[in-house]
Amino acid sequence: MIKKKITIINPSGLHARPSAALVKAASKFKSSFYIHLYGYRVNGKSILGVMTLAAEYGAELEFEFDGEDEEEAMATITALVADKFGMHDE
Amino acid sequence: MSNNEGALVEKVVHGTPVSSGIAIGNVQVFDKVKRHVLPKSILNTQIPLHKENFKNARQLLIQELDEMLVHLDKTSAEIIESQKHIVLDPEIERMVHKTIEVDLQGVDYAVYSTYSIYIEKLKESGSELFQQRIVDLENLRDRFVDLVCEDDNSIEARKGAIVIAKELSPTELVQLHENGIAGLVLEKGGLTSHAALIARALGIPCIVNAKNATLKAKNGKAILDGVDGRLILKPSKELVTEYKLKHKNTSQRRKQLQKSITGLSRTKSGTNFTLSANLEFLPEIDQVNFFGISDIGLLRTEWLLLSGKASEKEQAAFYEQILEGIKGTVVVRLFDVGGDKLGEKKGEEANPFLGWRGIRRLLDEQDVLRSQLKALFKTAGKYPGRLKILVPMISVEEEVIEVKKVIEEVKNELTEVGIKIDSNVPLGLMIEVPSAALIANKLAKHVEFFSIGTNDLAQYTLAVDRGNSKISALFQHHHPAVWYLIKLVVKAAQANKIEVSVCGELAGDTLGACGLFGLGIRDLSMSPSSITKVKEELIAHTDSEFENLADEILSASNSEQIISYFSNWKAH
Repeated sequence: MIKKKITIINPSGLHARPSAALVKAASKFKSSFYIHLYGYRVNGKSILGVMTLAAEYGAELEFEFDGEDEEEAMATITALVADKFGMHDE
Repeated sequence: MSNNEGALVEKVVHGTPVSSGIAIGNVQVFDKVKRHVLPKSILNTQIPLHKENFKNARQLLIQELDEMLVHLDKTSAEIIESQKHIVLDPEIERMVHKTIEVDLQGVDYAVYSTYSIYIEKLKESGSELFQQRIVDLENLRDRFVDLVCEDDNSIEARKGAIVIAKELSPTELVQLHENGIAGLVLEKGGLTSHAALIARALGIPCIVNAKNATLKAKNGKAILDGVDGRLILKPSKELVTEYKLKHKNTSQRRKQLQKSITGLSRTKSGTNFTLSANLEFLPEIDQVNFFGISDIGLLRTEWLLLSGKASEKEQAAFYEQILEGIKGTVVVRLFDVGGDKLGEKKGEEANPFLGWRGIRRLLDEQDVLRSQLKALFKTAGKYPGRLKILVPMISVEEEVIEVKKVIEEVKNELTEVGIKIDSNVPLGLMIEVPSAALIANKLAKHVEFFSIGTNDLAQYTLAVDRGNSKISALFQHHHPAVWYLIKLVVKAAQANKIEVSVCGELAGDTLGACGLFGLGIRDLSMSPSSITKVKEELIAHTDSEFENLADEILSASNSEQIISYFSNWKAH
């Protein structure tokens, strides 16, 4: 199992569209994926779970991956967050 | 229908227009009762059946959403895509299964209670971001429950009906569209609610925020005026005739508009031109996208200062949201505070328009200037090639030299601490003071582009305060003197091979746009709602026609001659 802290840099936070992008990418991996924030722990492959976090700009999340492709999953998802979920190239 | 004429009383329900157009038809009210599903125990042996029901209903719901996708533009399609994610959410599945297997509850209650838990959580989070989504989620839940119960509760309307409802999900709206409804009135919703977005994408005349519409409208004929935001119940015959005529005109007009929005921006001679939008606030982006505009030719930023949201971080977030919302480039005008935009504490000026405003003030309050430049260069580093900076109220060359010096310092400061910037952000000057227009040839050497602000240029050239009603007749932005100055600026830009555009009201007026094209301007920025009328005019003529018009304009001795020449010119 691996863990890492990540900051949300999308100006309007994890609203519906970035949440969908996050879940879509995470669902491609076999590893389980949990997100921790303010003591909550939600399934990162659950869009409703991610949305209920209501993570705003600057929120510091902790990602937790567990499984055979955990390294690759962590790299992919953290890159996605750093890339603001691709929300700038629309 | 069977009403006797004398009993007719017109009633009007007001709402916010979100999708223009006129509909005349019979009203049909959908007053859905909120669904309450009660717990109901099942036997151990029924577990597999209930789980199977859940899987099948989920499949059907996904199919319904997929069918909807074909109707929609990109923005609306994304909404449906995220709803598909919600339907397929693994936590939903886990909780539904648990409710069936462990709590031994029927599938309908399992689905209902699981969704309700999330709806409550989102409501509790109080986050503004999800308020729209909550309605969608409730609709999704109710449709899901219908499907597991195999109820055919899918909504159906009569062809040509004006549908009135408290609120509708995107799914329901698309179904109604397939039924061929003429118009839509919703009690809830706002400009950017899902229903509004989709009604606009589908071209259904629609008003939202129509208080108590479902109570006031029962049946009978009605007129929906999606332009003024009114639903007129039981209209008189005369009014119906009047609206029928309007409807005929607007639907023809709408077809034309659609055609001109999607068509190329090219004159009859095949010369390309660019129309971009003037913008101030984030929600206006919807309109920009609706009109198919990709560039922002003028982004006003003063509101950030005036509303106390001008920290470097808040600014960067705003610029970023704008860049994320559009496809093309954004010209950001530095804070143009002063003149009439003064929420002032620092002592009143006798002549604010001739006073401490725009770059004059920014050069004195350098901390404000520097923080804006920092926010801009940082944002540009993340979106290279998409941001341009425009300096307002330049009147003398020294100001240009000084602002460039500050820009260099800011760039160096950022690079030294290792921040990625776009070092090639084009710099432009707002030409809105006659002195700047007259020395444009000199100013052009310092920058990459000019943007002509015709409102202030007309005000300063004619010495007319735009806000003074006693002399409002003298504020003539078509005046030949203004055109002379514009011509000078264009010549200077061409001679120095820099870009020149116009972002004042003149660009958004058909006369102005045609004359400006004739003078050699290929780039016009205006309020989004002016785009179609300007485009229609520009694609209807040849380049030499525009040049002739410009010649006539420059040889006129007053505004009236120009206006009357234009109306003849246009008719040919």
